[in-house]
Amino acid sequence: MTIRSFDLLQPRSLAEAITLLVQHGEDARAIGGGTTLIILMKQRALQYRYLVDLQSIPGLNQISKEPEGVRIGALATHRSVELSPVIREALPVVAEAFSRVGNVRVRQTASVGGNLAHADYRLDPPPALLILGAEISAMGPNGARKIPLKDFFRGMYETALEPGELLVDVKIPSMPAKSKAVYLRYSAMSANDWPCLGVAAMVTRENGRCKELRLALGGVAATPVLVNGLTFVKDQLLDEDVMQQILAVVDEQISPFSDLRGSEWYKRQMTQVFIRRAIAQLDSQLIEG
Amino acid sequence: MKREITLRVNNKDEVIVIDDADTLLEVLRDRLKLWSVRESCGVGACGSCTVLLDGRPASSCFLLAARTTGHDIVTLEGLGDGAELHYIQEAFVSQRALQCAYCTPGFILSVKALLDETPEPSDEEIREYLAGNLCRCAGYADILRAVRVAQDKKKSLAFKE
Repeated sequence: MTIRSFDLLQPRSLAEAITLLVQHGEDARAIGGGTTLIILMKQRALQYRYLVDLQSIPGLNQISKEPEGVRIGALATHRSVELSPVIREALPVVAEAFSRVGNVRVRQTASVGGNLAHADYRLDPPPALLILGAEISAMGPNGARKIPLKDFFRGMYETALEPGELLVDVKIPSMPAKSKAVYLRYSAMSANDWPCLGVAAMVTRENGRCKELRLALGGVAATPVLVNGLTFVKDQLLDEDVMQQILAVVDEQISPFSDLRGSEWYKRQMTQVFIRRAIAQLDSQLIEG
Repeated sequence: MKREITLRVNNKDEVIVIDDADTLLEVLRDRLKLWSVRESCGVGACGSCTVLLDGRPASSCFLLAARTTGHDIVTLEGLGDGAELHYIQEAFVSQRALQCAYCTPGFILSVKALLDETPEPSDEEIREYLAGNLCRCAGYADILRAVRVAQDKKKSLAFKE
């Protein structure tokens, strides 16, 4: 065996899982799909005496349509989101973003909650979920609470979850009327690699002009970035002048670092290229549709 | 922690004592001697350790064996009856879709899952589905051809039934 021996604890309820996590403190970690955790434990980057198995809790993998959106249980796999008829119809941008993670085997195993709680700055789903205003339900020793996804990511691999607190599900509101959304991923290396960056964009139109623009980015800061300060696009045409202003706003809010997928300068340039592509694509779809 | 588990592998119940930290890959190879399941990258990126879990492809290198009880596990050994090759294996042979063959079991299981899920895939769907299986002899063109041959064979078998 390559992983240091541990005890796999298999609770039957969330309450039991939380009790175990509180009892064992830093010696224990919750495991969802395990695609990341097991690899990091094999590499001995992480070590725990106890893993608390969330797959043994019934009912956490549901995807359900709600009056004002869709709710995805923490243990739903990426593949089930990608193929869900409910999500493909109501929120195609979410299906697209989840379909871009890793390869089909990873998506078959990796969980939605694990993806978000791992808080890798490059993951594909967070930008798409951020532009839609997703909200997390969490449960911990002090009870249940809601955390807007924009307040969830606190730093590289750090989230707002407290010790013993578990991500239970993510609620995604429906798309506003007359809006379209897109997720574009740019891989500087192979297709299955982490993206160099990802751009999610949503445009809402009214009377032939832009009513609202939302942008979120992955891979260009320590956390996914939901761009603030875009209200000036209201009632504008998304022409070159406005585009220059948008790109300037974005450039101020990202802080990419140089790595093997590109230098800081390169990532700033590519961010601009992909924002232009995303907005152009949405604008033409909305004019045609 | 040690525990006794029952694994359903290739239509047979295997009762074995494992450690919670054992991956499915380690159990299949080291305990059940199923040598078609191979380790290469160890991080789920290459597809050499692919098995079918309830008919869907999974990387056995990042699954804990203790969490795979109650699922139907199939390795390449479980595809044929041992006497004759499975038609996907035959397709790989006839199209010379292998050179060193280290990646081949993983590819064949992925192709099986693909054709079960999507009986008439587009070129794009094949490429996307198999993108996570790496062949460093770079036999990709031959492998894509083998998928088409296997697809035709599957269709004619289904027609006969």
